[in-house]
Amino acid sequence: MNAPFDGAASGCPMAAASADFQPFEHRGMYEFLAKIREEVPIFHAPEIDYWVVTRRADIEAIMPDSDRFTAVLTTQPIFPWPQETLTYLQERKFAHEAIQVACDPPLHTRVKNHVTKFLNIRQFMSYEPAIRELARSYVQKLKGQETVDLVDAVTYEYPAQVVFMLLGVNDFDPRQIKKWGDLRLHMIWGRPEETDFEQAARDLADFWDYTVDLVAPRKADPKDDYPSKMFELRGGDDEVLTENEIRSLVFGLLLAGHETTTNAAGNLILELLKRREQWRAIAQDPALAKNAVEEGLRYATSVVAWRRRAKEPVTIGGVDLPAGANLLLSLASANRDPALFEEPETFDIARKDARNHMAFGKGLHHCVGAPLARLELRILLEELTAAFPEMRLAEGAEDTDFTKTLSFRGPAQLRVHLGPYKEQDA
Amino acid sequence: MIDITFIQPDGSQKTVAAKAGHTIMETAQAHGIDGVIAECGGSMACATCHVFLDDIALTAAGPASDSEDDMLEFAATPRADNSRLSCQVTVTDALNGAQITIPETQF
Repeated sequence: MNAPFDGAASGCPMAAASADFQPFEHRGMYEFLAKIREEVPIFHAPEIDYWVVTRRADIEAIMPDSDRFTAVLTTQPIFPWPQETLTYLQERKFAHEAIQVACDPPLHTRVKNHVTKFLNIRQFMSYEPAIRELARSYVQKLKGQETVDLVDAVTYEYPAQVVFMLLGVNDFDPRQIKKWGDLRLHMIWGRPEETDFEQAARDLADFWDYTVDLVAPRKADPKDDYPSKMFELRGGDDEVLTENEIRSLVFGLLLAGHETTTNAAGNLILELLKRREQWRAIAQDPALAKNAVEEGLRYATSVVAWRRRAKEPVTIGGVDLPAGANLLLSLASANRDPALFEEPETFDIARKDARNHMAFGKGLHHCVGAPLARLELRILLEELTAAFPEMRLAEGAEDTDFTKTLSFRGPAQLRVHLGPYKEQDA
Repeated sequence: MIDITFIQPDGSQKTVAAKAGHTIMETAQAHGIDGVIAECGGSMACATCHVFLDDIALTAAGPASDSEDDMLEFAATPRADNSRLSCQVTVTDALNGAQITIPETQF
């Protein structure tokens, strides 16, 4: 698709934004968005052939509108995979179906109505004691150390362990799930090299096989977990849910259930430790943790951009787009739009409307795991601030690398000095 | 004029002028009523706009759909017989004088 006009020579801000935007680079992204948002509600990113939407009001209108915009592309690779990779996956019986985040009604409605019978607020609340115990076990492992990489020591594994609770799995290495998850993000939302594909296809097929093996025994021998609940609801009826749909749901949870939470935890802790008075405030008053989580999700969302495709000709930000136009909705930009937030570039855990962020999306695809992510983040923050009230960033830690994907943002490392351990009251 | 009164868990009240055709959720948000979060924006995907209706509102609102009924089961504050998702109740003249109670938590 061509840009509607070539304004580079005339100093047109829209053309300049197109030229300056680096879709896979997270450093400097917020500064870039703050600079262009007022003048440029939408611009074309030629490297990926997407139209980037920058304003909150536009994004909030597009996201829930499944009549005019389809979600089918949201988990498709930005750069299509080679035919030999697809053939290999077919031979390995890789059969993941896009039935949640990357589909539209009525399929989405049918599946979601079953999924929410297990993935819901009340069910998540029942895990709170177990999640707190898990968080405390990580704190205990930190005890006695001076300088650690919190991503490696805590935030990388912790959400994956929670996913295993939902799946009733207690005998698997969380690092393997993380490795497979990282790979899926890289292959779909990243810019894979040609040499990546052979190994990636093998790993992806192994990941699917693991899922198939995990789900299969729940059919005959149900437990108190997510796949068992889905088999119960299915009741042997393909019209309700097929067995492969249940496998696909579990495969989905094995990615969506932890990657974004790992990144959100890293982002939140990094921003708090850049402003240690806010970290200390939570240590003194744990009731502040809840809103601090929201401000972390607003100020440094782990999902910076999400995709839609126009199903019909549309006009966005004054630009006419044809049916089939690809849209990249900048949630990072929406979360700092001054049209909604006062002093949007300020990180403030006491911000009254912090929860108005779009980190979990809007509309029918609003993240079904949002309450679980909130619970995990709040508990982790409560436990870390209580145990290490004097924690601070190690030298150079502010300049951490971020994961190189279009949609997901989180620190690759987070080196901190823990400071003295504070014994907790029983 | 359609007056609707919102009652917070602490007992404080605020009466607002609602517009016919809006939902109760939209009415609450337009008037800055705390506690009606409605994070998904009204798509029955989050159960964070749960409210309790009085008899006037219950009669005016009619029955909940099956999907809404399912979602209410998962609301953070346990549902009662007069629970509804406020995004699914449209304001009509019959709601004049209704009292809507906000639950303790939406999560």
